Amino acid sequence: MKLNRTSFSAAAVLLASVALPGISHATVTVLGWPGGSEETALRATVEAYNAQSGIADADKVELLFFNRDGFFDKLQADMAAGSDAFDVNLVATYSIGRYAPYMEPVDLGADASKVFGESVLKTMQFDGKQYGVPTDLSLHFMYYRKDLVDALMQDDAAKKKYAEIAKEHLGKDLQPKDPDSWTWDDWAATTLYFSKQVNSESPVRYGTVLQMKNLLFNMMVFQSLPRSYGADWTDKDGNVAVDSDAYKTGLELYKKLYDAGASPKDSLSYEYAETNAAFGSGQAATALQWNAAAADLTNTEKTPAVAAVTGIVAPPAGPNGRADHIHGLGLGLNKNAKNKEGAVKFLKWLATEEAALLYAQSGGSPALAPDVAAKVAKERPDLVKLGEFASQYGYVMNGATSANALSVYELQAKEFTGYWAGQQSLEDALAHTKAGMQDLLKK
Amino acid sequence: MAIVNRAEGRAYLTPLVGFLLFFLGFPAAVNLIYSISTVSFETLRRPSLSGFGNYAAVLADREFWGAVSFSMRFGVLTALAECLIGLFLAVFLTPLLAKRSYLMAPLMLPLMVAPAMIGLMYRLVLHEFAGPVPYYLFEWFGDSPAFLDVNNAFRTLLVVEILQWTPFAFLLFYMAYAAIPLEVREAASLDGASALKALWWIELPLMLPTLVIAFFIRFIDGFRVFDNVYALTGSGAGGSTTSLSIYIYQAFFKGGAIGKAVAASVVLFLASLAVLYGLNWITGRGRR
Repeated sequence: MKLNRTSFSAAAVLLASVALPGISHATVTVLGWPGGSEETALRATVEAYNAQSGIADADKVELLFFNRDGFFDKLQADMAAGSDAFDVNLVATYSIGRYAPYMEPVDLGADASKVFGESVLKTMQFDGKQYGVPTDLSLHFMYYRKDLVDALMQDDAAKKKYAEIAKEHLGKDLQPKDPDSWTWDDWAATTLYFSKQVNSESPVRYGTVLQMKNLLFNMMVFQSLPRSYGADWTDKDGNVAVDSDAYKTGLELYKKLYDAGASPKDSLSYEYAETNAAFGSGQAATALQWNAAAADLTNTEKTPAVAAVTGIVAPPAGPNGRADHIHGLGLGLNKNAKNKEGAVKFLKWLATEEAALLYAQSGGSPALAPDVAAKVAKERPDLVKLGEFASQYGYVMNGATSANALSVYELQAKEFTGYWAGQQSLEDALAHTKAGMQDLLKK
Repeated sequence: MAIVNRAEGRAYLTPLVGFLLFFLGFPAAVNLIYSISTVSFETLRRPSLSGFGNYAAVLADREFWGAVSFSMRFGVLTALAECLIGLFLAVFLTPLLAKRSYLMAPLMLPLMVAPAMIGLMYRLVLHEFAGPVPYYLFEWFGDSPAFLDVNNAFRTLLVVEILQWTPFAFLLFYMAYAAIPLEVREAASLDGASALKALWWIELPLMLPTLVIAFFIRFIDGFRVFDNVYALTGSGAGGSTTSLSIYIYQAFFKGGAIGKAVAASVVLFLASLAVLYGLNWITGRGRR
């Protein structure tokens, strides 16, 4: 009996010593964006915040992450239920309309605009109120293999083969070009040239890696292609315009490349991680991917096969020039937060230059004002490109900040992947998408 | 003689019945109300009754029937395969396990992994560039099938499910097989029955209730599959791998069609109830 009591006491003390510090020290709970560079950067930044001498134990920050897949669904359920499990939650440009009713605006102070600039702060605004600190700006880079493209440009026989492939598959007379001046046709011809199934002499297995899984984020990656042909969700009168020639062109080009074997056969199940793995393996010549991947794909330790030969340019151009989908991720205040004071204190700190630079140095992708970005330009050259591409090519589709924007992306994902997989015709896919979007955008 | 009288029995049962009524009855009642209401996330606490429109919408939705078809095929095929393989393993491994019982632990290992983790694991294992399976197929044969493309996804999902859950069927059959009295086998042997005849005419009939229950449990699990399918393919290109659970999840969260999603779940509940009664009838017939 005595032994039992002693054992129980010892176990209780052990459990208390393990559990209590975590409970008592972390009383501002932050629900962040799981996986990828955003999580890494947030962890490092929070660690620095908690280590500051002026932070009371009661205001220290603890992080919470769901799964990336289905994140916004879980967040919606939690917020609608009035959850106080987190004080600060993730918010994105395309989801502010959906979550604003469950959040409180925050005053980030006058200096925030000096750190980020007014236009970037606006990515976290709804009805003229600031709902969050912009932590990451997301857009897309065209990653390509410099070594392969350089070799192509210097080899006359290869150029001839390239021209033959372009003529046969795209019906156009094309010659290899510098990636920074690619049109979508140039990119398509290049991807076909570098695909074993089209050109058995290709040094790599695939010309590109298309992200075609039935996933809303993949639609954000795709839509810059039709956008450069003039696509929008609605026209100037508010009519859904997804059945435009621009969308048809984009959808058909993806299908053509997939059917020709320019992208892995499994592409219909690919998203962010699979694309990185494919490009990082050295078996794909190009990849249109989120800017968040730049830090990994150009890091020789993380991606030794291609880091040294990976080039980055903006997405190719269409008849309407270049277009690059843009949105901001950020952190805002839950209306039901248990520790609002501590949460606001953390959010205000996150909007300072010190925190933004720390976040950038830790792998995040904050959109910084030019003079602030200059301070990390050496370690993070991609952030310079980020600002440059965002200002020159960034766009937001009409309706893409509405309360049902996420549902529109979901709908497009389902219908478009159905077309790419050969399960339905292009006309059916566009008709279903149009009918669904009309319903979603009028709500 | 009764161990407890009727009044005592009621007194003992009241807490359990109360518990069930509160924790199962209350959500069921709320769901029934939602299924005949117009409701959104903002109006969860004040739904407005609107009749049976949600049920009509569900039953008229071709995607609902697509999901029913997927779930039915998936449930039947996985349950059949798991039971057949589990039975085969139980019959042929029982002598070995009688001598080396420690081998049971590794056989049960797949059951220890959460289905969602199995899905994530196979996403890596089958990835053309990161996965070992395609790697070795390329090394040995110069090519590898695309395990998750639209033509192969269903078969891949079946294999993943079967690999994870066959040990469960095996465990049930092993226990049932081991429980058959030795005298029965000896008597059959003395009468000159071969091992195959004894299995077919004596052992399998004795194991029949276990076989039916195992098939039913595995069918239900397969029919309502969610985690590993969602982790591996989402809902598939164009919704090609949408199970009924995924359909309900997407209607609820992604479409915001809460009434329709709940109506679909009520339809699923009623269908399950019909299957339960069917099973009850089969096993009851066996006893008679």
